[in-house]
Amino acid sequence: MFEIGPLLIQAFTYARQFLTTLGATPLQAVVGIKFLQTTLTISIILAIPLFLVYAERKISAFMQARLGPMHTGPWGLLQTPADTIKLLFKEDIVPQGADRLLHLLAVILAAAPVFVCFAPVPWGTGFPLINLDTGILFVFAVSGVSTLGILAAGWGSGNKFSMLGGLRGAAQMVSYEIPRALSVVPVVLFYSSLNLQTIATAQMERWHGWMPKWFIFYPGIGQIAFIVFLIASVAETNRIPFDIPEAESELVSGYHTEYSGMKFAFFFLAEYVYVFLSSALVTTLFLGGADGAAFLPSWMWFLGKTLLIVFLFLWFRWTFPRLRVDRLMQFCWQFLLPLALVNIVLTVGWMMCKTPSQDVLPTQAAIPSSEMHGSPDDAGLTKAVEK
Amino acid sequence: MITLAHMLCLSAILFSIGIYGVLARKSLIAILMSVELMFNAANINLVAFNRFLYPDSLWGQGLVLLVITVAAAEAVVGLALVIAIYRNTKNLNADDLHLLHD
Amino acid sequence: MTLPLGIFYALSALMIGFSLVVVTSRNLFRGAMCLTASMGFVAAFFALLGGDFLAASQLLIYVGGVMVLILFVVMFVQTPDLFRARQTSVRWIPALLLAGGVGALFIRAFCHIESPTELPVLQPTSTALGHLLLGDMAVPFEVISLVLLAALVGALVFGLERES
Repeated sequence: MFEIGPLLIQAFTYARQFLTTLGATPLQAVVGIKFLQTTLTISIILAIPLFLVYAERKISAFMQARLGPMHTGPWGLLQTPADTIKLLFKEDIVPQGADRLLHLLAVILAAAPVFVCFAPVPWGTGFPLINLDTGILFVFAVSGVSTLGILAAGWGSGNKFSMLGGLRGAAQMVSYEIPRALSVVPVVLFYSSLNLQTIATAQMERWHGWMPKWFIFYPGIGQIAFIVFLIASVAETNRIPFDIPEAESELVSGYHTEYSGMKFAFFFLAEYVYVFLSSALVTTLFLGGADGAAFLPSWMWFLGKTLLIVFLFLWFRWTFPRLRVDRLMQFCWQFLLPLALVNIVLTVGWMMCKTPSQDVLPTQAAIPSSEMHGSPDDAGLTKAVEK
Repeated sequence: MITLAHMLCLSAILFSIGIYGVLARKSLIAILMSVELMFNAANINLVAFNRFLYPDSLWGQGLVLLVITVAAAEAVVGLALVIAIYRNTKNLNADDLHLLHD
Repeated sequence: MTLPLGIFYALSALMIGFSLVVVTSRNLFRGAMCLTASMGFVAAFFALLGGDFLAASQLLIYVGGVMVLILFVVMFVQTPDLFRARQTSVRWIPALLLAGGVGALFIRAFCHIESPTELPVLQPTSTALGHLLLGDMAVPFEVISLVLLAALVGALVFGLERES
């Protein structure tokens, strides 16, 4: 139907040929096209927090039997731009005992990696930005860099409360990375690949012609992995019920305390983009990615499922009370981690009981070659670099 | 073209910077950080040799994975030692820690 | 100066710059941050040399794990007024000579090494590394897990507060 993917591939191929006729070498043309694609992706991703902030405020309001923002614009639609403009005009205060460079670097380290993480995520038929073979490992590795941002924010504020908040936040993020990565291991084992595109397309088959073969529907292993990954993602993004490091009533707002104006806005932007990234990962790994009936284009299915998981994230915020720090750590190490390990054992047991002929594991033939994005680009890039 | 000589010279420079750090720094944590630099230089060497001289096998990269793991374990134990020393003596200066001789 | 060579020189200049800050800075936190940047560049070099799995692992383990640990310890142990003390002991001149000598020796040995001009196209390495680690390299793989267990137990023993 209204498939954007093949259109984009065509457009970028024409652009690359156009650059080559302008006199660029193949390598320079490919680099230029990748630059363009990256800029486009980052611009689109930057638009997401605008909607998410408004959605969060409205949904939270409706869950609390109130109306939320209604004044600025019709039904409060212009609230987020108004807030952004207000934050832009605020004075940027850096405390006297703080390290100015570190104060700024913390914001960059916390916010920048998430845009890079969107590169291997498959949005629909034929368009992840890069068809990375180590897709899921790359996403986990780069999102681990934002832990450093929290540490630098805590130290660079020159404030004991901020430092404690930064230490707690970093400890929480590092601890919850482990069940998160371990809960993805069954998915990787099942589909024998770290490639997000492969995992998404392998879930596009059907049982009995109608039941989609999404990983969440596999009895036992799918649901446990989904729940562990969801909880660990909520903890990674510092959302309630796991937001001890940044809560307003604890530690005077933790490592955010000394940040004002645009830097504060960037921390929140980073958090919302992380929520969207985690939801996109849940969709790709457990809900079949862009899989869906043909009456809607594939990227709309992907967006719909991702927004459903984002709604789950927002729903958790106003449903559960905040976890105390020691109980938070206890929950991770004494419950989630053993659960994820048990899940891996269960998955291996399942895989050993079913032989490949009973079509539990999808084969490579199930993935049509037209779905692979960027194979002309990647082959051209490899040949050009090797010259 | 990036040749083997480029990567080896780069890792040699990194290694010698690490040696200077280990010998000339006072704080124990700084010495540990310089040792990590040396580990990274050795890893670059291993991957470069794998790529240029033995491109059909992956033993170099497998060995690098093991070296990364051993370096992480060593950093963990070293930092636990540093915290224990700090708790006992409040002083992390390598020149002042000579209880085994006068 | 082709584009890959230019990228190589830029990345290596940045990496060496950050490493020099690590070994000369008085501010340990800044040194640890520059070491993190240096390790990020090492991951970039791994990716340049065809180790995609290795680059991601380097970022995951070193930058996301070991450097966070080092930063934790720096935050526990350092107070900001300690940063004004001189960090280099009096042994810096012989150290510089020794380090410079070793570096010069290595570079002289490596400068004219032969490297092949025809290299195979880069392949994704995840599956092959998996086969290697669980096939030919199975024994070192299992021994490494024991090493990690020993390190875990050792760190716990050192970290426990003794109440005597």
